[in-house]
Amino acid sequence: MQKKVASRAAKPSASAQKGSAAGKQWTYGKRGYALAQSLRQLTQRKFSSLVTLAVLGITLALPALFLFSAQAVQQLATQNIDDESLTLYLRLDTADLDGAALAQTLLGKPGIQKTRFISRDEALATFQAKTDIGNALEALGDNPLPSAIVVYPVKQQADATAIKRLSKQLLSLPEVQRVQYDLRWVQRLQAAVKLIQNVGWILAGFLTLTALLVIGNTIRLELLRRQPELDVAKLLGAGTSFLHRPLLYTGALYGFLGGLVGSCLAIYAFSKIKTPADQLSHLYASTFKLTMPSASQFLTFLIVATLLGWLGALISLYSPSRKLIPSRRTGM
Amino acid sequence: MIQFENVSLEYDPGRFAVRDVSFRIPSGSFTFVTGHSGAGKSSLLKLTARLVKPTEGSIKVGGIDFSKLKARHEPALRQQMGLVFQDNQLLPDRNVFDNIALPLVIGGYKYEDIKKRVSAALDRVGLAHKALERPLSLSGGEQQRVGIARAVVARPKLLLADEPTGNLDAEISADIMKLLMQFNSSGVTVLVATHDSGLLDNFDFPKLTIRQGRLVDVHPGTRKGSTIRDRQAYTE
Repeated sequence: MQKKVASRAAKPSASAQKGSAAGKQWTYGKRGYALAQSLRQLTQRKFSSLVTLAVLGITLALPALFLFSAQAVQQLATQNIDDESLTLYLRLDTADLDGAALAQTLLGKPGIQKTRFISRDEALATFQAKTDIGNALEALGDNPLPSAIVVYPVKQQADATAIKRLSKQLLSLPEVQRVQYDLRWVQRLQAAVKLIQNVGWILAGFLTLTALLVIGNTIRLELLRRQPELDVAKLLGAGTSFLHRPLLYTGALYGFLGGLVGSCLAIYAFSKIKTPADQLSHLYASTFKLTMPSASQFLTFLIVATLLGWLGALISLYSPSRKLIPSRRTGM
Repeated sequence: MIQFENVSLEYDPGRFAVRDVSFRIPSGSFTFVTGHSGAGKSSLLKLTARLVKPTEGSIKVGGIDFSKLKARHEPALRQQMGLVFQDNQLLPDRNVFDNIALPLVIGGYKYEDIKKRVSAALDRVGLAHKALERPLSLSGGEQQRVGIARAVVARPKLLLADEPTGNLDAEISADIMKLLMQFNSSGVTVLVATHDSGLLDNFDFPKLTIRQGRLVDVHPGTRKGSTIRDRQAYTE
């Protein structure tokens, strides 16, 4: 055994040359040193680091999935509203020219994206083409159908409240007899989206908190493991920032790598649900398509995860139990 | 350089590690602090390094009054001191070079300076060829020399050594003492806590003798080359 140690020890000394014993330059700066220590912590204890990263990755996967899909879900709600329209039935004595002029005037009003005038004749033709009772109208002699204007609200302002408000405004116009719209579908969808969003935010919040606690606890354990080294550094004149920095970097690294694993898992889940989601959308004649997360979403999530890791470490270092470092062990 | 005025250190009520101790150690001197185990030698060194605060009395080191020193300035103070421990306190997962470089990294030295200073310190302790070794692969004497190199690499004005030869045989202890004397001869104030009678007999430097926390004797030392041989310098 002793021989083994001796031969291992002899190896580097033979190659040790004056001036060449220094490691990489960046590891001798204060920040570089801290980063090197953090990387060393991660690589020295590979198995426990991997387990921690797996736990963080799985924990962060759902918030990532939610973040990546939040825009798509919002898009789903507004896209269906986009198809929503209000139909203004004009008084029977309104001339087609006046009706068309009114449609044009409405186009310039706030909250209205598009209008389409339907003359009384066009309405009758459509009615006859689409229903079996078209001939019955002929028996009445005069065309009983009023002319109409179909109003499409602006997409961004088309929530249920805005549509109601717009309907009230339009009803006050003298030419308008009646306003018809169907908000039930929009309201149901918006309520469902809101519910999903709220549940998602709550779940994401809980899981984010879990990630914070996992990182905090990992750093606390790391703190205990590195106590002797921290004590030595303190004896050599290291200040709090020097002592804490490697642990903060470790937290940030865990956050970053956990975020990377989490977003990869989320992207994988996305790719699995994309096709069925698109098929479902197609069945409802919607143009909605689930888009894969963008690079900016991915980067945002990684930054948030990194900050989360850093925050977890910070909380751990500045919690009431921080008296753990520096300890009273002074070596003398 | 080091001045203690009626200093006491009470760890628990009624349990004094140091009791009403007053002395002055001039700059550039080499001084032993001696006494039996548990006499208070290490506590005296801890007080000097500001690792613990006195419960009574005042301490001044290098003109700095510890009672006025804020906690945030303590690391900077410690960077001006070199500490040598009986158990070396080397980091086992770093090589010799990186162990010695640590005070310089803490002090924010540039890479080129670090390389130069660590190489010089390794040369001085005769371990240039062991720079890449891990501490555990070195002998006890070599480890202690690495500890000394680490303590002096930032060129401190004060070197505090707590039982630096405690685990070493007589021959290696003499080597370690020679090293400490070399640094002393270049102007570093050296304060060595030891109960090694062999060492005290062979190197007749000034001695402060502690017993049950009290300073019971000040021996000015007779060794040729001793910077201070005047008892008054220690007690006035």
